[in-house]
Amino acid sequence: MVKIGIECHLQLNTRSKIFCGCSTKQVDDPNSNVCEVCCGFPGSKPVLNKEAFEKALKIATALNCKINKKTFFSRKSYFYPDLPKNFQITQYDFPIGINGSFSGVKIKRIHLEEDPGALIHKTSYCLVDYNRSGIPLVEIVTEPDFKDPKEVREFLKKLITDLSYLDVYDKKSEFALKADLNVSTTGAKVEIKNVTGLKDIEDALSYEIERQQKDAPKSNETRGWNSDKGITFLQRVKESEDDYGYITETDLPVIEISDNLVNKIKKDVPELSEEKTSRFTLQYQLRESDAKVLSSNKKLAHLFEEVAKKVDPDIAAKWIIRDLSNQLNYHKKTLDEANVKPGDMIDLLKLFEDKKITDNTAKEVMIKIITEKNFSPLKYIETNNLIMKSDTSQIEEWCKKAIEESSDAVESYKNGNEKSLNFLVGKIMELSNKTANPDVARKILVKFIKK
Amino acid sequence: MRAKDYINGVKSGKISAIKTVKSILDEIKKINKDYNYFNNITDELALELAEKIEKNPKGRLAGLPVSIKDDICVKGVETTCSSNILRGYKPIFNATVVKKLVDEGAVIIGKTNQDAFGFGSFNINTDYKVPRNPLGKTRVTGGSSGGAAGFTALTEFPHVAIGESTGGSIAAPCSFCGVQGLTPTYGAVSRYGLIDYANSLDKIGAIGKCLDDVELVFDVIRGHDNKDSTSLNEELSNNNEVKTIGLIKETLDIDPKIKDLILKKLNELGIEYEKVSLPLTSKYSLASYYIIAMAEASTNLSKYCGMRYGQEEKLDLPYNEYFSDVRTKYFNKEAKRRIILGTFTRMAGYRDAFYLKAMKVRTLIINEYKKAFRRYDLLVSPSMPIIAPKFSEVDKLTPAENYMMDIMTVGPNLAGLPHLSLNAGVYNKMPVGIMFTGDHLNEKKLFSVGKKYGV
Ligand SMILES: [Zn+2]
Repeated sequence: MVKIGIECHLQLNTRSKIFCGCSTKQVDDPNSNVCEVCCGFPGSKPVLNKEAFEKALKIATALNCKINKKTFFSRKSYFYPDLPKNFQITQYDFPIGINGSFSGVKIKRIHLEEDPGALIHKTSYCLVDYNRSGIPLVEIVTEPDFKDPKEVREFLKKLITDLSYLDVYDKKSEFALKADLNVSTTGAKVEIKNVTGLKDIEDALSYEIERQQKDAPKSNETRGWNSDKGITFLQRVKESEDDYGYITETDLPVIEISDNLVNKIKKDVPELSEEKTSRFTLQYQLRESDAKVLSSNKKLAHLFEEVAKKVDPDIAAKWIIRDLSNQLNYHKKTLDEANVKPGDMIDLLKLFEDKKITDNTAKEVMIKIITEKNFSPLKYIETNNLIMKSDTSQIEEWCKKAIEESSDAVESYKNGNEKSLNFLVGKIMELSNKTANPDVARKILVKFIKK
Repeated sequence: MRAKDYINGVKSGKISAIKTVKSILDEIKKINKDYNYFNNITDELALELAEKIEKNPKGRLAGLPVSIKDDICVKGVETTCSSNILRGYKPIFNATVVKKLVDEGAVIIGKTNQDAFGFGSFNINTDYKVPRNPLGKTRVTGGSSGGAAGFTALTEFPHVAIGESTGGSIAAPCSFCGVQGLTPTYGAVSRYGLIDYANSLDKIGAIGKCLDDVELVFDVIRGHDNKDSTSLNEELSNNNEVKTIGLIKETLDIDPKIKDLILKKLNELGIEYEKVSLPLTSKYSLASYYIIAMAEASTNLSKYCGMRYGQEEKLDLPYNEYFSDVRTKYFNKEAKRRIILGTFTRMAGYRDAFYLKAMKVRTLIINEYKKAFRRYDLLVSPSMPIIAPKFSEVDKLTPAENYMMDIMTVGPNLAGLPHLSLNAGVYNKMPVGIMFTGDHLNEKKLFSVGKKYGV
């Protein structure tokens, strides 16, 4: 039987580091976002960043954890060059939250800790960059409730989505998501350390399960993951549990978490993706798959709801999921980077809904919304005379011209090939700069050709 | 000269701060040849500060020479905690106390000798030359703030020493050298910039020839600091009335001559006192103290590994062997002993029996003190069970006997209680200290009782 448990580390999106005032912004210059505290210089002392603490508390609340009334920090001792004090300030005895559940998986504990620095390996030597040192992380530990790698991936995907709803996590951070994976199948327990990213996590688990099923491990071991080769490799056999000699970090006082604070934070927890999906299906009558796509991205969901206030939700959903998302992907932009304003989308889709512009025009304008700065859909449509034309005599002109120029398609249609009509309609769209009402054009075409 | 009179002299222009500072720097150099009180004399910084004061004599400590124990960071000044492993280390920031002192016009004259990292009661565990007692060169100064107390006793110039106590490192040398020393309530003085021995126990305090000097400087260095999360955000208690004193029964089982001296001194006060028993404190404070202090110390010393600052070696080994190499070479025997013992007490399987149990005992001891303070304004005991021993006597002591020296002082240190060691007289030509302990933030009671002696 396959049993998988995970310990994932996520970077909180705070402005400053967990125990000092240094910025968490990514910078290229190594060892530039550092001070005596995050470099562990003798005499320096940590001061807890309140924002980091409250964000961790928010996560614990959202993941339905029991909140410990008193929580404190501990020192986890081990020697490593990227660890400035040779101990990490983390939580051990009373973490912020315990015994939670999320998406059907039991959460063992959630705690707050500091990130070490980063080693930069060169051919014959190694450098250390402490810019990351002191970046706030939350560690979320699950029970071994997963039975296959796909479940893990789905769980993490949902977790990440919800954390962005909580405004505690930034998917784009360099660090993204790192996890230690505990896998046992038929033999001893194996831990795969430090796997980064959803895809690698799933791949590492799949590989490891297959490997164990061929050759059951006889003793507990720690393995690493080689992403390039797609294999796990033995790091060391574990004879006993690691011993980090935890003691209390007495530079930081015990934190009492009042019911008031918990209630205040609970109120701050917004609607998460699961609730949002079911609300979208009820309130807007969306298909569940569409509701899921929209809910899986905080900003997309927000945009949809803004647009749906003024435009038929069906049209809003279809255009946001299909066209907007596709074009964003195609142009390799995020919603933020493209700076898509709900107002522009409303202007555009309203015209479409009222049959004032054609599907083709709408698509063209959508691309401009994504790619052009200071773009106004209304102005553009007006200047370029893109309002749909349903005037029969005008369309008849275009039809005649299309038939003249495409005798092959006309022949083919006469021989019973319905698709050829689409070609002719396309021709008319070309001739009309996408403004001809395609329904009217179709009818006139049929009438003309039958004559 | 009392610091206050000197400062007034500087402010009124009757005394030259520059001249005084120059003379005291000369004196230090002379004294240091025999007594080894200073690890580092900061001529340049001192003269720069003195000149500033001479031009603009301002601040509560205008022109006052102040020495700083070597475990407190002074920006740009070599700060080693008397350990070889930190040789050459110049902090990039000032400790909060240093900043406060300089802001009030103090002149930093140098870094004083101590047991390396504060590990010791005699100041013999220094990686510099061992300081000698000002009243007899064959005897120890006491530790770990030995340089601070020794120089305070010997100099005739106005001067206050900044010391630090984890388990008795202010009271012990004050007792042995015959000067006055306050160990404040834990958290009353910011620890920012104090190089940690044991974070939950370390307290910065002041040592002076007279109590007035101590009070003056304590008033400057105390107060809340955002950079130290354990710094208290509470004012001192204004109640300075001492009506009853509890004499700790268990601390009197010592040389009867020392005991008599303490009782005589206590009688001088004319304040009612009675014997009080603190059985838990007497029995368990030493064990509990050493377990907690060493557990914390063993993690604090991890950062010294030949990377980033301090001593380093040629880097041609894997990192873990390199770290071991540096640590083996530059930590002294007592530091190694405390790292090993401290690490042992927090390892799985021992953590419950030692570290966690010691933490529980600590709470019980605090409660025992709190109970006593419901009845007594202050508690009193000898500061040390003996007078300053000779080096030859100390050499014969086992580590456990060494640790026993702290029997009087570990209790209040463990409980974070303010305590004041005052000179009670002389026995065998050597000073004897009497120690008053107050409830948290009751420093004013300590000063008011001390002033009755006129020290
Ligand atoms: Zn920093």
